[in-house]
Amino acid sequence: MFDTILALWDKYYYVYLWGLWGTIWLSAASVAAASVVGTGLAFLRLSGIWAFDLLVRAYLGVLRGTPILLQLYFFWIFLPRISPIELSDTMCILTALIVNAAAYVSEVVRAGIQAVDIGQTEAARSLGMRPHNIMFRIVLPQAVKNILPALGNEYITMIKQTSLASVFFVPELMTSYRTVQSATFLALPSLIIAGLIYLVLTTILTKALDVFERRLKKSER
Amino acid sequence: MNVDYKSGKENVGGGSRGAKPPLTDVLIRVENLSKSFGKLKVLSGINEEVRCGEVVSIIGPSGGGKSTFLRCLNLLEQPTDGKVFFDGVNICDRKVDIVEHRRKIGMVFQQFNVFPHLTVTENITIAPTLEKKIPKAQAVERAHSLLWRVGLLDKKDEYPSRLSGGQKQRLAIVRALAMEPMAMLFDEPTSALDPEMVGEVLDVIRDLAKSGMTIVIVTHEMGFAREVSDRVLFMDGGVIREAGTPDEIFECAEDQRTVEFLSMVL
Ligand SMILES: Nc1ncnc2c1ncn2[C@@H]1O[C@H](COP(=O)(O)OP(=O)(O)OP(=O)(O)O)[C@@H](O)[C@H]1O
Ligand SMILES: [Mg+2]
Repeated sequence: MFDTILALWDKYYYVYLWGLWGTIWLSAASVAAASVVGTGLAFLRLSGIWAFDLLVRAYLGVLRGTPILLQLYFFWIFLPRISPIELSDTMCILTALIVNAAAYVSEVVRAGIQAVDIGQTEAARSLGMRPHNIMFRIVLPQAVKNILPALGNEYITMIKQTSLASVFFVPELMTSYRTVQSATFLALPSLIIAGLIYLVLTTILTKALDVFERRLKKSER
Repeated sequence: MNVDYKSGKENVGGGSRGAKPPLTDVLIRVENLSKSFGKLKVLSGINEEVRCGEVVSIIGPSGGGKSTFLRCLNLLEQPTDGKVFFDGVNICDRKVDIVEHRRKIGMVFQQFNVFPHLTVTENITIAPTLEKKIPKAQAVERAHSLLWRVGLLDKKDEYPSRLSGGQKQRLAIVRALAMEPMAMLFDEPTSALDPEMVGEVLDVIRDLAKSGMTIVIVTHEMGFAREVSDRVLFMDGGVIREAGTPDEIFECAEDQRTVEFLSMVL
């Protein structure tokens, strides 16, 4: 078994590395884009405008109330129909991942902002600061400390979730497994290699996040 | 640059500072001010005036509405009913730019509320540079003069977490002064402090009072209220039950609740 795995890795490592790259950039791109969209959604909810709040809540309800695989299918089928330009499967799946992650991120950002002491806002107001300055100069810089670790976690979650993209043969690690498996019919060894790569990746990231979080705490002034 | 935090009275004569001189001798006038939180009526029809340069202390039992009253003066709390005039302008009027108005009134909170992610100097310069477009170098220079006045110049580059409670509160005071307000509001500025730090903060407020700043202060420091105030207001149950000079209130209060309260705290 061990020999089979080594032999398989020797022969097909480039397929796995190619998949690893797909996994890394798909998760990074979706978390990055979701951070922007999610922050926007959080602002909409905090705007105090009733209609916006309702809209965002409906969005959250739908995205948390349905399986992510269903959402991937939905965008894979729906996006090409409305898009004026030709969309690759990867683009459709990436969009779905962004939309899904944005729901999670928006809650993280909202909670991070609300965790900042209300006294900070009141002090800034009493100084005659405008709302956008209060948000961007006083509240957000303090909220970032609450938000960044959660975003790191979301990235690790996303690395595992992108595996669903293999259903659509979008290049990523599970798609590499499927490729190697169908070429060699060695189902278990090819799966174990993919699993080990995931483990190494998530372990490194979790450790890095730990260090980062500790640094953040230390700089707590 | 000549830093003076003596604004108030000097400003009456048309000071050199940006804000225009008050139109009237009365700086703050409250008419029939009421405030409810849902069904809870916290302030009931308050009428009061604060003149330029006057130091007014508000005393009274917990939950009497002192903080709420103070917060209505810069609209951190929106009154349910009534009017608040500042410098002759009704600030409850929707046409008034409330942000602009708040720049003319400084406020100091019980919990300091200094900005933990900014250095001591940045705490002071952020509002003037962002909101008044004062050049950075000038704002820093002024911040340092203010820090020197309250004995914090050696802390200018520290972050607030390295300051004691008394130092944080002194920082909060000069942060408000940096906007060159026409009046200062204090909400129990020494209540969160260890006893040995109360004095250093009261010293700063006393200096400010002497310099002619218009001050409204909610406090439980009866000795201090008596010493610095021109007038003392006793608040309970959402109304001002008695008002007068310190001697009138502390020596010969007439209102039954006032007498009871004073006998408890003195
Ligand atoms: N945001 C709010 N929502 C609901 N009730 C409030 C709010 N702020 C104050 N209250 C209530 O209003 C009443 C008066 O509060 P306020 O803080 O003005 O009293 P205070 O005189 O400052 O008391 P203390 O000496 O304890 O500071 C209290 O019963 C309080 O519970
Ligand atoms: Mg209070």
